[in-house]
Amino acid sequence: MSKVMKETGLPYTASKKTLGRRLKNNYIGWLFILIAAAGISLFYFYPMLRALLLSFQSGMGANLEYVGLDNYVRLFSDPTFIAALTNTFIYLLIQVPVMIVLALFFSVLLNDATLKFKGFFRTAIFLPCVTSLVAYAVIFKYLFGVDGLINKFLMNLSLISEPLDWLSDPLLAKFTIIAAITWRWTGYNMIFYLSALQNVDRSMYEAAKIDGASSLQQFFYITVPMLKPIILFTSIISTIGTLQLFDEVMNITNGGPGNATLSISMYIYNLSFEYSPDFGYAATVSYVIVILVVLLSLLQFKVAGDDK
Amino acid sequence: MNFAHWKKTGLLLLSVVTLLALAACSSDDASGSSDGGNGEEPDKITAWAWDPNFNIAALELAKDAYEEDLDLEIIENAQDDIVQKLNTGLSSGSMKGMPNIVLIEDQRAQSFLQSYPDAFYPIGDYFSTDDFAPYKLAPTSLDGKQYGLPFDTGVTGLFFRTDYLEEAGYSKEDLTDITWEKYIEIGKEVKAKTGKDMISLDPNDLGILRVMIQSAGSWYVEDDGKTVNLVDNEPLKKAFENYKAMIEADFVKANSDWSQFIAAFNSGDVATVPSGNWIAPSIEAEESQAGKWEVAPIPRLNLEGAVNASNQGGSSFYVLNIPGKEKAAEFLGATFGSNEAFYQDLVLDVGALGTYAPAADGEAYQAENDYFSGQPVIADFSEWTEEIPSVNYGLHTYAIEDILAAEMQNYLKGKDIEDVLADAQAQAESQLK
Repeated sequence: MSKVMKETGLPYTASKKTLGRRLKNNYIGWLFILIAAAGISLFYFYPMLRALLLSFQSGMGANLEYVGLDNYVRLFSDPTFIAALTNTFIYLLIQVPVMIVLALFFSVLLNDATLKFKGFFRTAIFLPCVTSLVAYAVIFKYLFGVDGLINKFLMNLSLISEPLDWLSDPLLAKFTIIAAITWRWTGYNMIFYLSALQNVDRSMYEAAKIDGASSLQQFFYITVPMLKPIILFTSIISTIGTLQLFDEVMNITNGGPGNATLSISMYIYNLSFEYSPDFGYAATVSYVIVILVVLLSLLQFKVAGDDK
Repeated sequence: MNFAHWKKTGLLLLSVVTLLALAACSSDDASGSSDGGNGEEPDKITAWAWDPNFNIAALELAKDAYEEDLDLEIIENAQDDIVQKLNTGLSSGSMKGMPNIVLIEDQRAQSFLQSYPDAFYPIGDYFSTDDFAPYKLAPTSLDGKQYGLPFDTGVTGLFFRTDYLEEAGYSKEDLTDITWEKYIEIGKEVKAKTGKDMISLDPNDLGILRVMIQSAGSWYVEDDGKTVNLVDNEPLKKAFENYKAMIEADFVKANSDWSQFIAAFNSGDVATVPSGNWIAPSIEAEESQAGKWEVAPIPRLNLEGAVNASNQGGSSFYVLNIPGKEKAAEFLGATFGSNEAFYQDLVLDVGALGTYAPAADGEAYQAENDYFSGQPVIADFSEWTEEIPSVNYGLHTYAIEDILAAEMQNYLKGKDIEDVLADAQAQAESQLK
């Protein structure tokens, strides 16, 4: 026992023979990860590097040439890019908090020990995220169409006197997109909270109850602090998801009216495939997303006070 | 110490191995692309196109009409997919997996031809360009070389419901050779008398603007295909004003996609459909409305030189510069390029109207169409085809249109037209370098 301890604890004092064996073991270890590491390098890091190089080039289709930082300068004077960035941030600032709060709310409700048909409710709320992005986006498009179900519903309730242009009014179109993403992803985030809630010790709630804490106080002083790491995690992945928003915008509004709902990812698509292809500039815009993801994630870590 | 050192060496080794692997891969790529142009002659010729009822059917028909022995594989893809596959494939420098023949929309053609020099094979020697409608030649050629074989025409017409128009007090003569201003006037009357909307538009699609400006021989770019031409573009300004007048006249039924667009006229909700002739099969699909439709020439802009003929859509065949290109070009030349009888079958069987002028004298072109109250629709369309003003669509149609769509929103909200076009011009110039 003590010998093993000594060996692992103090490797440098080990005999030459054991060192040799260790190195051999080590080699085999490296061999095991070599394939995976080479794969990741080949299929992740290498394309990233090439994309970075590409972002310093510009030109139509195959006629690319190096232009230095021109593409990055161009970003600042490109109104379409600025519109796409603004839209994306509007989605981010409204949609992510709304969704996180909703998901928390549902998960706490569903975690109630006295709730009946728990399985049914849980499935019902989670179900949206097994649907295909394109399929649900198309359905939302029809729901929110001028002759769509939503308008019919609101008209029959006499809440509106004439059909609303959900898809062709700049403000309402943004709302439609936000409603769609929220519907799709709330259940997904809820599952994270639900599983995290299983790990919260019930005795804490009991103790709080004995001390006279209300449900609201229990929620804010026990549930939220206990779920903090998960809330951080979900808000980061939701932020990344929103920055990469594409399918919904493409299928529901196609970026319109004008570019009122255009997202950054959709602009990248347009630059590559819709307009005369400029893959260099498209790569530059892609790198903006990378930079934003890094910055926003750092910010969220800072705000949450968790440096680890 | 040694151990830590070994760890570092291991990492170093790993990165060296990885780098080598990468180097090997990238050199493979390089050699792969270099022999793209002159490999073995393939047994099979492949063709990519979209729309099974139209383009694919036309290709199948051509395959049957071709007398030589040719193994032609026709692959159906959505148009968006073809655009993507071509862009990614051609820009990678590797021609592997590319088809021999591909259908490209005229308004995108220049972008492909100029983006990927040498990727396409000039086929001007395989047919006579004089036989085709002149407006099809500018978009399909580059630097004096003919790359595309002109296929279908997007010649426009004003499809209208005779019953609704009659109820409002208008006959076909009243709709023939009119301006858009007159059209709007009639539209108001139709809405007042019948309660039906005049037209269905997708607020995200400015196709109707392109129809309007081409009738006056203008486009978003100047004749060189590059210089942005928005500010001081009188036809475009007029088109904007007409568009706004239509929206404000409150006779526009909004649609947000193709199926809603089709539903708008199949359900009988709109009185007219100004569109490319390719919409005819969709109108005819609603059999209960047989005999209630006719086609008038498209309205023109109220400007000197504007004609009652324009174009919307239309595409042409291209041959890629890969092994099998001669075979592919011969096939196209012998069918779409010169076979008059084939064009008669094309009209009868597929309903596709080509731009091959000699075919217009054929019998099938003169046939009367019962659905359209006995009007010889094909003959009318081919007559209008010859009047379509030729414009150079250039490279940036869709990029500029997105800018215009955003500015159109501002214009509808009350921004001054001069500012709208000036801002769009400035934005387009900064974006399209």
